[in-house]
Amino acid sequence: MAQINRTIQELLVDYAETLRDGCIPTFLKSLTREEAQTITSSRDFQDATEIVRVLNSVGFADKAVNPNVSLFISRVDAEIASRLKKARAPSQGRRRSNPKPVTGTKKTEKPI
Amino acid sequence: MNRRLRKGLKGLMDPNPEHRRRAMESFVRDTFEIFIRCLYRYLGNEVECEDVLEDVYADIWQNPEHLRNVTNEREMLRTVYLYYMRKRLREVYRRMNRYLHLSQEGLKNLIAPEMGIVEMISEDELHQILRRTMGRLKARERKAIELWMEGMSVRAIANELKTTVGAVKMLKFRTILKLKKEFHNYNLKD
Repeated sequence: MAQINRTIQELLVDYAETLRDGCIPTFLKSLTREEAQTITSSRDFQDATEIVRVLNSVGFADKAVNPNVSLFISRVDAEIASRLKKARAPSQGRRRSNPKPVTGTKKTEKPI
Repeated sequence: MNRRLRKGLKGLMDPNPEHRRRAMESFVRDTFEIFIRCLYRYLGNEVECEDVLEDVYADIWQNPEHLRNVTNEREMLRTVYLYYMRKRLREVYRRMNRYLHLSQEGLKNLIAPEMGIVEMISEDELHQILRRTMGRLKARERKAIELWMEGMSVRAIANELKTTVGAVKMLKFRTILKLKKEFHNYNLKD
């Protein structure tokens, strides 16, 4: 992929290979400015990537299907628990910040 | 959609967050395989797929409203992709963007595009259509795709077909466009 300004066919094959190997960032980093423009403007490339993705899922998606879903469920539950905690946190913060103006008024009262 | 999944979806609509959290377990069990396969299409990496899916499920728990009127599996996948997955997919490589020549829009289209007609087809249907469309290809084209799907590199395919790397790249590009046309025709007939 060190070549400069690959053709659209070469770009597609490189995209397909990096997608199959699960390292899309390698492909993204390898793009030159001209190649990036070619990809963005080519309708054929967009069409072809759709099929590449489909082929990728038909051929290789099985390895992503984890037989132990329980472990994953516990991860999801932990994420939900952390969001619940975060959602409750701001209201406590607000309560704590309420007394501040009161002390401020006390200070101004002193000179009187 | 099976009864269990329908019940799971109903549980997700509970206004109480703790009840929704409990309903999540069965929902994840029923949908994990469908969603992870869908994500794999875009990432090709099981670790990243699980990380993204974890956030997707948490987002669904937080705001399940989009799934309220879902009636079948296909519609559910489409809704989840459009409202929950796509946003998360776009975030995966967002931080990389400042080092790339690809514009933010270009990156978005490549990593998390609009869901095409082909991508809406279920896994079983895909296998069937693919078998049928592959049957219509020329022997050489079919061989190139089959070898690629076995995990071979372009150079190895070129060696196998006794041709150059450039010729294999060209062949693959043309074959993929041909497949796209066949898939499109199938959808029109459908």
